[in-house]
Amino acid sequence: GTSLEEIRPTYTYKVVLLGSTSVGKSSLAYRYVKNDFKESLPTVGCSFFTQILNLEVATVKFEIWDTAGQEKYHSVCHLYYRGASAALLVYDIANKETLNRAKLWLRELEKEFLPDEIVIALVGNKTDLAAEREVATEEGQEFARTEGLLFMETSAKSSHQVDDIFMAIAQELLKREQEKTSVLSQRGGSTADLRESRARTRCC
Amino acid sequence: EYEEKTGRAHRPLSPKQNVRKNLDFEPLSTTALILEDRPANLPAKPAEEAQKHRQQYEEMVVQAKKRELKEAQKRKKQLEERCKLEDSIGNAVLTWNNEILPNWETMWCSRKVRELWWQGIPPSVRGKVWSLAIGNELNITHELYDICLARAKEKWRSLSTGGAEVECEDAGFSAADREASLELIKLDISRTFPNLCIFQKGGPYHDTLHSILGAYTCYRPDVGYVQGMSFIAAVLILNLDTADAFIAFSNLLNKPCQMAFFRVDHGLMLTYFAAFEVFFEENLPKLFAHFKKNNLTPDIYLIDWIFTLYSKSLPLDLACRVWDVFCRDGEEFLFRTALGILKLFEDILTKMDFIHIAQFLTKLPEDLPSEEFFTSIAAIQMQSRNKKWAQVKRMLTFDNR
Repeated sequence: GTSLEEIRPTYTYKVVLLGSTSVGKSSLAYRYVKNDFKESLPTVGCSFFTQILNLEVATVKFEIWDTAGQEKYHSVCHLYYRGASAALLVYDIANKETLNRAKLWLRELEKEFLPDEIVIALVGNKTDLAAEREVATEEGQEFARTEGLLFMETSAKSSHQVDDIFMAIAQELLKREQEKTSVLSQRGGSTADLRESRARTRCC
Repeated sequence: EYEEKTGRAHRPLSPKQNVRKNLDFEPLSTTALILEDRPANLPAKPAEEAQKHRQQYEEMVVQAKKRELKEAQKRKKQLEERCKLEDSIGNAVLTWNNEILPNWETMWCSRKVRELWWQGIPPSVRGKVWSLAIGNELNITHELYDICLARAKEKWRSLSTGGAEVECEDAGFSAADREASLELIKLDISRTFPNLCIFQKGGPYHDTLHSILGAYTCYRPDVGYVQGMSFIAAVLILNLDTADAFIAFSNLLNKPCQMAFFRVDHGLMLTYFAAFEVFFEENLPKLFAHFKKNNLTPDIYLIDWIFTLYSKSLPLDLACRVWDVFCRDGEEFLFRTALGILKLFEDILTKMDFIHIAQFLTKLPEDLPSEEFFTSIAAIQMQSRNKKWAQVKRMLTFDNR
């Protein structure tokens, strides 16, 4: 690599997709990683994706955990969000009930994480189903604003804003990374171990 | 000279038929060009070069012929093997139909039958054998299926008319739960083996799959519909008539391992995972250590495999062969299969980190070689320090209390 790459740090982040069944979690991951859309099989347990982003200031490696949506799996799989750096709370804009479920996920994450420990994005998927919309854009936006979440409406099918939401997450994570660094350097601490300090706890 | 050549390149080339005629074999069009004389408008090849080209060309033809001969031999061998396989399937069908099935009770656990069973049950008798092996401990009759189905249909009707509450015989399960279950069945049916195109709306087995899953949620409202079930029901439908598929489905789900998983009994599931790890360490110590080091717990890959009995993760023909032996050996074969998969890919898995192992195991390669796959499973010992699967499981259940 060039000298530029050598000084550019690499960050690995665990990103977890949460939300009701059939809101498009797997399709979002598939669109983002493979830039393609196909009908996904129902996820049983969890499936996994990886994506590398080469940004100007850093290389970002996403480890994406795509969890099962059915509530029955909750008791086995809810701990899959442990150690995550970011979470996408996905709902279906054509199904109001799924937004409520996303809100419940938020409450659960709040129990597990301090606000600065995790980046949370609220994602209203399936904008291609505009005719069947049950949740107004403003409603999602307003909820995200009051809770301090990133917000975007997407369509895994038409590829609308899928890259954008992951990019926004990457930017936010990097911003926080910088803030941490400056706090540490003010205290005269070293930044060298920062990257590896992220704990990786898993369930079961 | 260069300019002159390029300047003339647009002119029509001279006819080549006479050159073709001189060849005593029919070459492929691309290789033939080598022997072509240069177009009349270009200086002829020097004799030496022409000779060299002819020689090279002849060598290429010889090589090509050799290759063709080899291919032909390979095809012949494949054909012979296929005939042999078809013969042996034909023979197996006869054996199953004439010898084993009529004498099921006395024969099914004999060594000879067990061996034949391992080879894979021929598709034409598969459903019958599965039914017999799974049994009908629950004594479900075709009439009971009809009753459950009628009830399910009633619920669908009242759901679709947005109608009044269905009578509260399933007390303790909220209407919302049931509704979610029935809705979810609809969603999942279209997502079950989508590439077979038979369970989707308008497909020949769409209604059958819908009926069986709906009837089951009425038969066992305490279990309800759990994602993964649609795949199990679909595999049964492919091999059995509707009511028999329902009977096999309900009895299969009633087995201790399936009940533990489908009721999402976390404690019991952990016992199964722990028992699995005992045999994992015993059979594949190096890989086991690697997984431990990477914090890769068995739930990451086993949940999908056990819930769907491999029907979502393996090619369908292989999954059916796993089901064959699962029907013969019971739950321990599901875990033995898991270890067989890990063993088959041990070398590459040992070189991967957490996320890549997780990715690999939750999306296995589509072209699994079936013989190597079963050889790998056969090599797994389901004995740990003289203890069998059931004993290890019992010990761990005791520990967990």
